[in-house]
Amino acid sequence: MGIVSTLLTPNEELTLKVPIARNRRTPVIGAIIVAIGLFSLFVFGLGTHAGSHSQLTFDPLNTTNAPWHAGTLTFDAHWTNISLGIVMILIGVEVLWRRPRRFVMGRFGIVSLLFLFTLLVWASRGPGPSPINFINVTSLLVGASATVMVLVFGSLSGIMCERAGVVNIAIEGQLIAGAFLGSVIASTTNNFFYAAVGGAAAGAAIGWVLAFFSLRYQTDQIIVGIVLVTMLSGLSSYLNLQVLTPYPNFNIGNTAPNLPIPLLYKIPIIGPVMFNQSGFWYAMIVLIFVVSFALFKTQYGLHVRAVGEHPRAAATVGIHVIRVRYINVVLGGAIAGLGGVAFMATQGQFQVGYTSGLGYIALAAMIFGKWRPSGSLVASIIFGLTVYLSYELVTYQVPVSLYVLQMIPYLITIAVVAGLIGRVRPPAADGQPYVPG
Amino acid sequence: MSNDVVITTDAIEPTEIKPSLWTRYSSANPLMVAALALVLGLVFGAIVIATTTPVVLDAWRGMFDHWNGIPHAVFVTWNNVSAAYRDIFTGSIVDPQTFWHSLTTGKGWTASLTPLSETLTYATPLIIVSIGVGISFQTGLFNIGANGQAVVGGIGGALVGSMIKMPTFIHLPLALVGGIVGGMVCGAVPGVLKAYTGAHEVIVTLMFNYVTYAFLLYMVLSTPFQQPGQSNDISRTIYPTAVLSPLFGSSSGLRVSFGILVAVAVVIFAWWLLDRSSLGFDFRVTGANPLAARASGINAKMVVIVVFLISGGLAGLAGYVQVASTTHYIDGGFLIGDAGIGFTAITIALLGRNRPMGTVWAAILFAALGVGGRNMQALTSIPLDLATVIQSAIVLFVATPVLVKEIFRLKKAPTSLLTLSTTGWGS
Repeated sequence: MGIVSTLLTPNEELTLKVPIARNRRTPVIGAIIVAIGLFSLFVFGLGTHAGSHSQLTFDPLNTTNAPWHAGTLTFDAHWTNISLGIVMILIGVEVLWRRPRRFVMGRFGIVSLLFLFTLLVWASRGPGPSPINFINVTSLLVGASATVMVLVFGSLSGIMCERAGVVNIAIEGQLIAGAFLGSVIASTTNNFFYAAVGGAAAGAAIGWVLAFFSLRYQTDQIIVGIVLVTMLSGLSSYLNLQVLTPYPNFNIGNTAPNLPIPLLYKIPIIGPVMFNQSGFWYAMIVLIFVVSFALFKTQYGLHVRAVGEHPRAAATVGIHVIRVRYINVVLGGAIAGLGGVAFMATQGQFQVGYTSGLGYIALAAMIFGKWRPSGSLVASIIFGLTVYLSYELVTYQVPVSLYVLQMIPYLITIAVVAGLIGRVRPPAADGQPYVPG
Repeated sequence: MSNDVVITTDAIEPTEIKPSLWTRYSSANPLMVAALALVLGLVFGAIVIATTTPVVLDAWRGMFDHWNGIPHAVFVTWNNVSAAYRDIFTGSIVDPQTFWHSLTTGKGWTASLTPLSETLTYATPLIIVSIGVGISFQTGLFNIGANGQAVVGGIGGALVGSMIKMPTFIHLPLALVGGIVGGMVCGAVPGVLKAYTGAHEVIVTLMFNYVTYAFLLYMVLSTPFQQPGQSNDISRTIYPTAVLSPLFGSSSGLRVSFGILVAVAVVIFAWWLLDRSSLGFDFRVTGANPLAARASGINAKMVVIVVFLISGGLAGLAGYVQVASTTHYIDGGFLIGDAGIGFTAITIALLGRNRPMGTVWAAILFAALGVGGRNMQALTSIPLDLATVIQSAIVLFVATPVLVKEIFRLKKAPTSLLTLSTTGWGS
């Protein structure tokens, strides 16, 4: 990026445009934040009866591994939501007033988390329609962590491919393949390590097919990706009927065992969420660091980014463009395949279509995170919480249709892609075929 | 189109030898590539059948058990694969036995024509939606959300068809318009977002598909639209005045409906739009070279929005045609899974090279695969999803003409091969 883009006029133009675009969008984000704040203030705050209470519980549902009680926190739903609504409005006004150049999306993330919190407080208020008048924060976070994990794997896969200039829209397909093969292997061997290896291999194979068509024959990457997703969802459904239904032993659906890290898992809240998870969770954490380090601190990463920004320039300094792209797309596919196994390991039994578009949401998280592992981690947390809550709120009997709730994650994804984040700048050669010579 | 724009002026004509029939058909021309891609897709499907059917695998497992084990295994494989493809053919085009029976005895025409009628019934909405998708592809816009647009179109049309009572001559057109409007509303969102914020249409339309599924379930489970007295996810039945009735009368027993006339109208409209109108010219220029389009004063934002309106409108129309010619109501599984005509439309438009007539043939082919696949599932218990696998394999090969050319060692094509490309995330 650095060296290459300074040599180029088109990219200079692009970097010049960025501040202008950002200034234009900042007020919009501010206005949206104010609107969210007003909504929380009036609906969730003033809309609740004074004197209704919500409880926060921090004990995990499974207390056998956690010999501690963090107790509960009771607070006034009415005044909590009013004050949080006012805080959100103030943040929005600050964005509108000062038009900060940095951390605008960070503020938006904070506000969206606050909004989710007020929503929960409102849904679980004491004398209310809901049968559940407490929020179990720990179990909520543990539940959401599974979704977050899949999104992180997916967006890391997207980053690997797109930093090298190949759009990997087949993430959904790689998740399906990983989940399918992972389920079969885990059921037959009862060993999730083998399942992980198998799922990663399946994802890598699909990545190779994507690379083969888009690099060797310069077929449009988005078409190949979408066709691969169609094919794999068809194939998984086909194999499900042809193999898994007659031989249910191939799809027992045991979930991966938790590997608690000694001592650390006893920490309240953080312990169960961070340190009492399956091996896939730790693999994800390691992978975030590995991918960040590899892409931004090593020579290999410099090559990858050069290939993604300006392949021809990279080729002139002796980088083998096609090879770098092959390696990255295959590795990215393997990461997504691993994500599929991880999803299967938390959800159990493989079912047709149970990834329900998470691969695409992961792509949006990658865009939201501006093609950086750290950014997409933050985005995955926000998206994962939203996706999980949209299904979980049903148990709270929110007086909104279940189906309207289920739209929310997708609508948020659309809003994100529609440039709430300001001008996104993908790798310059993203999606462009490279013809050597 | 670009094929027709090959320079064949008189100055060049005499120097060139007219290619012989053999050269023309052995070169990598689009038709040849499509036909060979079909062959490759069927081969791929055969491999899938052979490697996953338990009977076949058992035969191969026992290939050293007996002196004729290997020939036996080959025989079993051939039997299974050919049975599957024979069932696809007899279930979708014609079953020679019943056809011969009705030819000789003059009876049972319903039975012998049913496969073809079913294929056309399935092809009708597919043609409409694929033409809409093809128009967006030609403009360089990747409308993946046709399925969602068709769902909303179906809901819109069914709302008009089931809530109001009117005479046929006004009710049916109004319901069709309801379908178009539903699809347009759903298509307008990605169009406007693309035009004004640069949001990539692939992600927006894909996400909108999921939004529309939730919307569908919400609609068929909420009071005004749900079938009264039902708690299932099923909508009201549309009035007979808004139904597309069978083409040969309801006594014929053949389901092929007047929807086919709607499809013909759409084909003519698309042909006129793309080849004869200035708007269509703007579309094609924008698709071929966006920079040139902008330089020549074409309003890019307008083009994007109008294309999405047309594409979404046609998808919505297809959704309603599907409802009005087959089930007459919508349930929670409408256009989901196997019946997702919007996804099949992507592959059909690619196979048909985004041209109206090519799309028609591709749609009939894919409808035949789908209908025949159902027959195959019933007779050989090979799942219907095989059709999806074959279809996507065909498209993968059609989108990669160079690979097909290499596999079959075709000669260089006289005209340029299909190169459809989308833009990256940024633009």
